[in-house]
Amino acid sequence: MLLVASPVEAAGDRALGAYLAAECSACHQISGRSRGGIPPIIGWPEDQFVAVLDAYRSRQRDNPVMQAVAARLSRDEIAALAAYFGALTSKP
Amino acid sequence: MKPTRRDLVAGSGALLAASTLSVPALLGQSRPRVVVVGGGPGGATAAKYLARDSQGGISVTLVEENETYQTCFHSNLYIGGFKRYDEIVHRYDTLASTYGIAIVRSRATQVDRDKSEVVLSDGRRLPYDRLVLSPGIDLNYDSVPGWSQAAEEMMPHGWKPGRQTQLIREKLDAVPDGGTIVMIAPPNPYRCPPGPYERASMFAHVLKETGRAKARIIILDPKESFSKQGVFMPDWERRYGAMIEWLGPKVHDGITSVDPKTGTVVTGFETYANCAFVNVIPAQMAGAIARDAGLAPADGYCTIDPATMKSVVDPTIVVLGDACQAGDMPKSAFSANSQAKVAAMILRGELVGAPTFPARYINTCWSMVDTDDAIKVGGRYEPRDGRIAAVETFISQPGESAEIRRQTQAENLAWYDAICADMFT
Ligand SMILES: Cc1cc2nc3c(=O)[nH]c(=O)nc-3n(C[C@H](O)[C@H](O)[C@H](O)COP(=O)(O)OP(=O)(O)OC[C@H]3O[C@@H](n4cnc5c(N)ncnc54)[C@H](O)[C@@H]3O)c2cc1C
Ligand code: HEC
Repeated sequence: MLLVASPVEAAGDRALGAYLAAECSACHQISGRSRGGIPPIIGWPEDQFVAVLDAYRSRQRDNPVMQAVAARLSRDEIAALAAYFGALTSKP
Repeated sequence: MKPTRRDLVAGSGALLAASTLSVPALLGQSRPRVVVVGGGPGGATAAKYLARDSQGGISVTLVEENETYQTCFHSNLYIGGFKRYDEIVHRYDTLASTYGIAIVRSRATQVDRDKSEVVLSDGRRLPYDRLVLSPGIDLNYDSVPGWSQAAEEMMPHGWKPGRQTQLIREKLDAVPDGGTIVMIAPPNPYRCPPGPYERASMFAHVLKETGRAKARIIILDPKESFSKQGVFMPDWERRYGAMIEWLGPKVHDGITSVDPKTGTVVTGFETYANCAFVNVIPAQMAGAIARDAGLAPADGYCTIDPATMKSVVDPTIVVLGDACQAGDMPKSAFSANSQAKVAAMILRGELVGAPTFPARYINTCWSMVDTDDAIKVGGRYEPRDGRIAAVETFISQPGESAEIRRQTQAENLAWYDAICADMFT
């Protein structure tokens, strides 16, 4: 189960983050579990998360799946995702 | 016990489980009711996201006729010996205990659209404010001359889960070295476009590994071309030499008939007698419940509004997954899961006033070719000109490095874990 670790932003951002994050959770488990292949992405500092998505968007990082995911995300959307995933922690 | 805010936000299992029983008493009948028919990637995902994100504000009932969900996705990995059967079997318990979803184990036999009720096989009626249908496919048993439902043990399809998947593996195990397997591939549109070709790869893999490399696999295809053909064909050549032979309609000139008793397949060009195993994958259509409700043509699929996943025939009904016609999106578990999230967002907007956003969809289909070797095709999709259209696409390339292929297979395994967690936990 998930706990919301930090106070969330405006309701809109949170709802947007949750909606966009649903697209990611088909591949990245929101529990943070992973057995390789697709890395966990929860609990990251937001600036780092944004930088990595930018790297896929600019095709500096070259996984085609993530490039397709990142290509159509706006700045606001990436920020909402960074806040959403950043606030998730895994429960032991 | 007084629930804390955290319990509510986190959707605490105990709280919600208890609330399944007591909420009608607490809130009267004011909670909007969503009935979901079908507990696959479309239905299970929709049920979970509706219940989880409305935090009990919507009463969600999931009607599923089977006790467990056995995935067709990765059934080819079971056939290839890469997964055990129990690894592709999943339960609905967590959806009930954690999210308070009422699981009704029954077959839905009818949708009474005038009364907004779903009728179950035992005669019970479930009233709904919104209905989600994700019944998957039905097979068209008349689409291959000589084949029928009665013949599906002798010439299995393996395109529905359970016994059929296991039959494919049993028949494969019985093929002698030098034996002939004929696969009759389905016409478009069907569930899992690369599925037949991944399966042929797994047949060749098993035969080769078990000293039966002289067996041949002949694919008779009604289509001129198939998903990831430009990658599959050179890979087959490289991995399996002459074992897999693909014949398009111009070459085989159509399937004239099959004879399940003798294992014979007759095409316009040739007769394959005494086949060791014939895998008939027939034409497909939306599950009966959706067709019978008048949401699809007699042997077809349901047309939906690309922005909402609602039936164009009845806006109180959403149709997800294989049963709908989703434009550029293939019929896949990934697509059904993605469509379910859009539908859940839209329905929460309508029923409990949650914020809504423009629809966006995603899909990737991985296919295993051999050990540590997989390929993928996928994209992102949005509503455009009245249909779901691809806005980004990618596909594996022939001649990729072994390292890329190994990574692609690792993604495939990780995706399976993630989507099953997304559906069932
Ligand atoms: C060999 C093979 C390999 C595949 N590989 C992949 C893959 O790698 N990746 C991928 O994404 N997809 C793959 N797929 C496709 C995937 O299995 C389907 O696209 C997916 O299951 C569709 O989900 P759905 O929710 O539409 O229907 P389904 O998964 O078929 O679920 C429908 C559910 O509804 C229930 N049901 C139907 N009618 C009723 C009724 N009237 N009352 C009660 N219950 C009912 C059924 O019992 C079933 O549980 C593969 C398919 C096959 C055959
Ligand atoms: C189709 C599967 C898939 C989907 C959907 C997906 N990802 Fe990924 N993601 C991957 C894979 C595979 C990698 C590893 C790529 C690589 O090796 O560079 C990855 C890597 C990442 C990374 C870098 C992780 C690290 O440790 O370097 C981040 C961050 C990320 N994804 C975020 C997201 C977000 C946010 C979404 C949703 C908007 C998303 N992903 C959707 C498959 C997916």
